[in-house]
Amino acid sequence: MLELASLPTAALQIPPAIASPEFAWAGLILLLPVLSALLCLFCGAIGVKTKLPGAITAIALVASFATTLTLFLKLPADAPRTIHMFDWVAFAWTGSSATGAVVWTGFLAPFSLYVDSLTLLWMLFVTGLGSLITIYATEYMEADVGKGYTRFFASVSFFLFAMGALVMGGNLIVLYLGWEGVGLASYLLIGYFYTRPSAVAAAKKAFIMNRIGDLGLALGVFLIWQNYGTVEYDALFKAISAGSAPAAESASWTAAAIPYCLMLGAFGKSAQIPLFVWLPDAMEGPTPVSALIHAATMVTAGVYLIARLYPMFVLYPDSLTVVAWVGCLTALVAATIGMAQYDIKRVMAYSTVSQLGYMFLGLGVGTSFGAVYHVFTHAFFKALLFLCCGAIMHGMAGQLDLRKMSGLRKVKGFGVISWTFLVGCLCLSGFPFTAGFFSKDSIIAQAFASENPTFALLGWIALFTAFLTAYYAFRVWFRVCGGPIKIDEPGDEMHGHDDHAHASSSHASNAHGEDGHGKGGHGQNGHAAHEWHPHGPGFAIKGVLLVICIGALLAGLPSYLGEMRHQPNWVETMVEHSSAASGIPVHEHAAGGHGHHALSFTGIEDVHTATSVVASTVGILGICLAAFFHLFNRGAADKLRAALLSNGLTRWLPLLLENKWYVDEVYNAVFRFNAWVLGHVLHFIDKQLIDGLLVNGGARIPMEIGRVFQPLYNGALQGYAATMAGGIALIVAWVFWIWMHGA
Amino acid sequence: MITLATTGLMSSKLTLIAPEILLFVGAVVVAVLGLARNASLRRSVPMVTALFLAGSIAVTALVYRTDAVVTSQLMLPMLGAYAKVLIAAIGILLVMLAGPSIDRRLEEAFDSGHATFDPIRVMRGEYFSFFLLSIAGTMLISTAGDLIWMFLALELASLPVYVMVAVSRGSRRAQEAAVKYFFLGALSSATFLYGFAMLYGATGTLELPLMAERLSIQAATSGLPTLAIIGGVLSILGIAFKLAAVPMHFYAADVYEGASSATTAFLGFVPKIAGVLALMVLLSVFGYTGHITLFDGVPVEIPGLPAPMTAVLWMIAVLTMVLGNIGALLQRNVKRMLAYSSIAQSGYLIIGLISGPESGYSAVLFYLLGYGVTNTAMFAVLASLERNGEDVETLDDLAGLRTRHPVLAWMLAASAISLIGMPPLIGFFGKLALFSSAIEAGQTTLVIVAAVNSAISAFYYLQLVAVPMFGQPNARTETVQAVASAWPRFAAVLCGIGVIVLPIGLAKLVNAAASSTEKLAKFEPTPGQIESIDASAFVSR
Repeated sequence: MLELASLPTAALQIPPAIASPEFAWAGLILLLPVLSALLCLFCGAIGVKTKLPGAITAIALVASFATTLTLFLKLPADAPRTIHMFDWVAFAWTGSSATGAVVWTGFLAPFSLYVDSLTLLWMLFVTGLGSLITIYATEYMEADVGKGYTRFFASVSFFLFAMGALVMGGNLIVLYLGWEGVGLASYLLIGYFYTRPSAVAAAKKAFIMNRIGDLGLALGVFLIWQNYGTVEYDALFKAISAGSAPAAESASWTAAAIPYCLMLGAFGKSAQIPLFVWLPDAMEGPTPVSALIHAATMVTAGVYLIARLYPMFVLYPDSLTVVAWVGCLTALVAATIGMAQYDIKRVMAYSTVSQLGYMFLGLGVGTSFGAVYHVFTHAFFKALLFLCCGAIMHGMAGQLDLRKMSGLRKVKGFGVISWTFLVGCLCLSGFPFTAGFFSKDSIIAQAFASENPTFALLGWIALFTAFLTAYYAFRVWFRVCGGPIKIDEPGDEMHGHDDHAHASSSHASNAHGEDGHGKGGHGQNGHAAHEWHPHGPGFAIKGVLLVICIGALLAGLPSYLGEMRHQPNWVETMVEHSSAASGIPVHEHAAGGHGHHALSFTGIEDVHTATSVVASTVGILGICLAAFFHLFNRGAADKLRAALLSNGLTRWLPLLLENKWYVDEVYNAVFRFNAWVLGHVLHFIDKQLIDGLLVNGGARIPMEIGRVFQPLYNGALQGYAATMAGGIALIVAWVFWIWMHGA
Repeated sequence: MITLATTGLMSSKLTLIAPEILLFVGAVVVAVLGLARNASLRRSVPMVTALFLAGSIAVTALVYRTDAVVTSQLMLPMLGAYAKVLIAAIGILLVMLAGPSIDRRLEEAFDSGHATFDPIRVMRGEYFSFFLLSIAGTMLISTAGDLIWMFLALELASLPVYVMVAVSRGSRRAQEAAVKYFFLGALSSATFLYGFAMLYGATGTLELPLMAERLSIQAATSGLPTLAIIGGVLSILGIAFKLAAVPMHFYAADVYEGASSATTAFLGFVPKIAGVLALMVLLSVFGYTGHITLFDGVPVEIPGLPAPMTAVLWMIAVLTMVLGNIGALLQRNVKRMLAYSSIAQSGYLIIGLISGPESGYSAVLFYLLGYGVTNTAMFAVLASLERNGEDVETLDDLAGLRTRHPVLAWMLAASAISLIGMPPLIGFFGKLALFSSAIEAGQTTLVIVAAVNSAISAFYYLQLVAVPMFGQPNARTETVQAVASAWPRFAAVLCGIGVIVLPIGLAKLVNAAASSTEKLAKFEPTPGQIESIDASAFVSR
């Protein structure tokens, strides 16, 4: 981190924001989802039994996207803008400063928006993908039309509002509001099938894991207010730019703790070690939710938080090293687990954790551009992959086990899914000249280019992870879409992860009476295998898949254009004009890194080119390995596994990977069990000692006092009057006495 | 010259009381309408009442923009701008509660032909006429410029309420409650009237600004006369009756229990704000600076009210909070519980009065907004339910309310949690404002006492959450039904939503409360002012 530490303070300059009341209409981006959520709730209240809530949400979100786009086109990129919506929290009180003069101090958090290029970039894909996935969901959730459908779309609308507040908020309080809001929306949507215990458990797990992170964020906000006296980005950045920040001169531990607290929040929301275990379980929610919330948007909130407050981290370079290591290790661990999972949606979930790890690695090694670019490309291809999984599940009555499906690309109706799925897998693997290739390479290259020697190690780990990524991505694709056709094992409700599973079992409809899974339709076929035949998706699903597929391909476009015109690519310019770029020399990723570096053995001078070559080689190797084991010699994979298992020395490897490194078990043993024991001990103490002796005993004191005075409240007028008059007399006498005594 | 000046003063005062004049007109109209032979005309009475209240809000907004405010020579010239709007707005909600309940049996009898229309027996016109008169009286207190005005306004606010309690429901308990309320009210009136007389004796004037001037001169030269101190203390004690503060709180539980739920909601808010406004005006006459006290024989100027008055208010605040909360702990009857809760709330309000006009007054006014909405929400839930045609009163009646009336149960829970002072509900911000104003005024001990009391109060407020939400329905609850009219439920939902949603407009509301105590206070947290804070000030803290 030498390079960052030795940066001149000038690099921390962030242009002061311009108050722009003329852009007040930007509030529509947040208002529209709120209106849609309220309308959906209203639909629920009057018992709408059509797809109306879906249509309302889709229209509102498309309009919200259009507003974002207009804002993007109209807003000059020169400086960040603050748009004041309305006064919200405002308290002021007097106090005396060090000089003894009376000063007004205040806690001021207006509901305002802070719009710079980073905000816009985020909002573009949040609202854009949000609209597309909502359109997809209008068809996907059709089996639940009725109360469930309304609940789903109300939650999705609310999520979009909260995400918008998180990203666009002008101060940390609005960000916190959004942060908690997306957590709530995520909880509601993971637990969408609330009659299924596993979904309820997953929802609770996600919520509780996130609470741990949220505690960190809350502490971070408190500390920022304590140290800087403001929670507004603009004022905060001004303080940091001016160097008047207490952090710059004397690093009190409270100031130094800020980035670590914020980091904990980011790790919770973005599922990094040690708080990553909730994300794979979150796949219990309907697939569009997994695509939107748990792949493309919400989980990148942690990356956004660090990118937005990057100056805060740059002040304490050690914190960035921690971010880099955590991100890199998460990427590796999650990729190894992803290799050994059979449930395709879980593979994608671990892949999300792993890719988020890359983003944190990028932030940590100092290429916020790479991190943000990866967020951007990942949002498209991961949403695409999830939607493909969802479409497969939709068509196969909930089947998700990659051992039980094969050759889908040849099945009628699944062609579009298979080929868009392939595009997603190629992007994920970092296949040359796809979107993922550019973004991932810029992160890995920066790790190698850094002067910090330990970062080269991170680069190697990241390269190895890229190999694993390509392997597990194509393991899924070759198994599910390649090979001979095998589609005779539809899912059942035990296995299913989506609504069709419910519709497919006639007895389940009683359990879900309120949700009205009345529309069994094709799903019922799932119960009787002999009648069963897979069905391809309809227009909405296919159309959205194609659009997002094109989006995933186009996400690489900024790089092409950049390379061709020899100018920084579009995403890079967006990042450069935002707070995420502070502390990073401009164009560093393009200019720096010449000369000797860890990849010099390739004979290529420029570290970026070298990384591209090495990473794509590694990726293609991974694809080849996957092709060998899962396309041409499917038996070999099982044989290898059996061989590893039979050997006492190596059997830990498959077991470890298949059991997710036993992280859940370790957490169970270390935290959950102990918490359970502690809980019971405390409960005993509480019940017997505190409740029994102190509280009930203590409560008895006021109650007994009350009983003593009870006779006074006997209801007799004379008694009341006498007591009142007596009270007045006593008080007046007392006052007379102190007055005479004092004077 | 003198004549001209007086005329100007008179006309400006007349301008400022235009909202009250409108309500007087309304009171007459409503009284006549209530006697109409035509049933639909009679039924329009609550609606007309609400319209007049809405009109008074509009008129208030108009008149407080004119020069009349400047020339009115009041202690707190802008006080009415906030207080009148608040009283009328809560008044509209209270009309929704009371509207369907008054004369319901009688009207049913008229409709079904069991009885013929008899103008002697109908009460609706009187009830709402008195309703408007009491609200007008309360508003007038905020415009009081002399002690006679203040006394008459206080009486106008109180006298109609005695009648309202008596006619609120056709039971002897209501009449018994009204009689108790009336006699004890008379006792309190006598007390503060005696106090007013002493103040007149001490200063030789009834005009409040003049009295303030003379008191400050006396304080600076020979010290405050004992007569003024005793007069002030007696006035405080008399007015404490309106707030149901110790030692004038004895009536509260009985009267609250005796009146109908809708009237109890009225009792919980209107007399309380009347008392608070009167105390604000009166205490600002004494002033919060320039009072010399002897410490070990050495004269020292301490900030705040004259020492004996601070002592009295301090003691009243502590005792009111403690006795109110302890009393509530024992209750199974919800109305009695809320009566004690409202006593405790008065204790919190007095904290703000002790901290003074700098930020305490605005905190009190803001707190009253939250309290008014929450209090109305709670009683609206009670008024929405009935058991065999009687008010729902005990906690057992509410057990498992969520299963049968989920919305009402949620609204009750939200308002109870708000009264505890949990964020992000309105009650939290009210307490935050009150407590921070007290800390600013150096009353840390008082804040600690209040915080402990808040914790105690959680015990019974949480019962209002737990019993309706998680309680098991029993045989009693089977007979609990929602009343036929949707208005009380509507009011409950409106207030409940207000409890949750009002914090969104927090800054606007706090500013409105703050600017209404202008002239005395310099509290204007404009964004520019706060942005200019020296960042180093924070570091040093």
